[in-house]
Amino acid sequence: MSKNESLQTWEDSEFPILCETCLGENPYVRMTKERFGKECKVCAKPFTVFRWLPGRGMRYKKTEICQSCAKLKNVCQTCILDLEHGLPVQVRDSALGLEDAAPRDDINRRHYMENQARTDTPLDFSGRANPAGREMLKRMARRGPYYERNKPHLCSFFAKGTCTRGNECPYRHELPKADGELAKQNIIDRYHGTNDPVAKRMLARSSAKVDGLAPPDDKSIASLFLVGLTAETSADDIKGYFYAYGEVKSVNVVPAKGCAFVNFKTRAGAEAAAQAVIGGCVIGGKSIRVAWGRARPKGPRADAPKPTTAGAPPPPPGSTRAMAYPSQDPTAQGAQPK
Amino acid sequence: MPKIKTSRTKPPPSGWDEIEPTLLEFEQKMRDAENETSTGKRRVESTWSVMRIHHQRSRYIYDLFYIRKAISRKLYDYCLKRNYADGNLIAKWRKQGFEKLCCLQCIQPRDTNYGTACICRVPKAKLEEGRTVECVHCGCRGCASSD
Repeated sequence: MSKNESLQTWEDSEFPILCETCLGENPYVRMTKERFGKECKVCAKPFTVFRWLPGRGMRYKKTEICQSCAKLKNVCQTCILDLEHGLPVQVRDSALGLEDAAPRDDINRRHYMENQARTDTPLDFSGRANPAGREMLKRMARRGPYYERNKPHLCSFFAKGTCTRGNECPYRHELPKADGELAKQNIIDRYHGTNDPVAKRMLARSSAKVDGLAPPDDKSIASLFLVGLTAETSADDIKGYFYAYGEVKSVNVVPAKGCAFVNFKTRAGAEAAAQAVIGGCVIGGKSIRVAWGRARPKGPRADAPKPTTAGAPPPPPGSTRAMAYPSQDPTAQGAQPK
Repeated sequence: MPKIKTSRTKPPPSGWDEIEPTLLEFEQKMRDAENETSTGKRRVESTWSVMRIHHQRSRYIYDLFYIRKAISRKLYDYCLKRNYADGNLIAKWRKQGFEKLCCLQCIQPRDTNYGTACICRVPKAKLEEGRTVECVHCGCRGCASSD
């Protein structure tokens, strides 16, 4: 490390690194910028603090960690969640098998950061090298931004029953959920992805979901159900993929729905395939979700008459007005299914 | 406010005797507000009672002179000179749109982050439903003219 490089440079940035949720719904958000306003909660260097209101009825948010720390982990400067998936660092790293290579201690860390800034091959957090992990993250990630997270914090005085501010209190007057485990979070642990209770819970839940691919009790089921196919995926492609696990009896593709059934000759083949494709598989460049097929209903199909769910009977002749009050609605009398 | 009366002190203008008890009452209230303990209050809240009495007292003089026309110009000027009323605040009240202004700090855009007036200047109709605001300067809950 030459002398110049070791000089501590304070971060002075023009724009924060934020996730969509933290920015809020309004595209015309206004921010205040304070140069060297606070110390980074991870590396304790002064950095440029941005502060803004992410929408009506939300609380003011500000950046908590510096940009170099955020870039090192590809996380939002405010919520310390992954920028691509919006998931905790621990979840992302364990799914993609990433190692925390950055040293924690001050001088080593600074040196590491300088090297990272100079390198031509930045860290890859997209998980392109690990499609199964990427698939798992996609399954765990939220579909859209989750603005509930920007709501005001809970009023601690209200919880104790001593809030005197009443209606004017800017904090939320709700009782905290009895969730002692999740209450113990801190930014540093969440940043480094070590003992983060939220991540722990998400990972546990996801492994429980993978157990959902456990073979069903009905031994006659030897078919798998695939969802998320493209129109180009043919039955032969699917057969070619699953042939490795056992002899495939037939493949039924439903192009309109983008799904398919793979029927194995033996149950063992189906089980082997299900075991192998936990977390989804990639056929024809498209990731596909897999579930066990359902048992065919046995015996002749009973064509039971459907209960009539037609609307209300026509109004009595002569009445021109629509129903004025609820008791005039014959469907509300309780005799007919609604 | 001069407390010492000497032989050279000018007698107050006529009509002073009528308004003096009210002003003394205000003065007593102001003393109490100044000496009030600030324990259990937020930091911004500590000056709110002083600001409120200041506003009330100025309003009283303003009312007497401009609305009810009960006191003479001479007496009005005397009150302003003795700091019984805030002349700058009254000057704002006479302008359209500022009829109910709570304090001068609340219309000072240079003091705010985004160069705007205080939240209490926003008409109730423009705020979201069911939101009560208290401005940090003087605890005002809304002083727009349309409210």
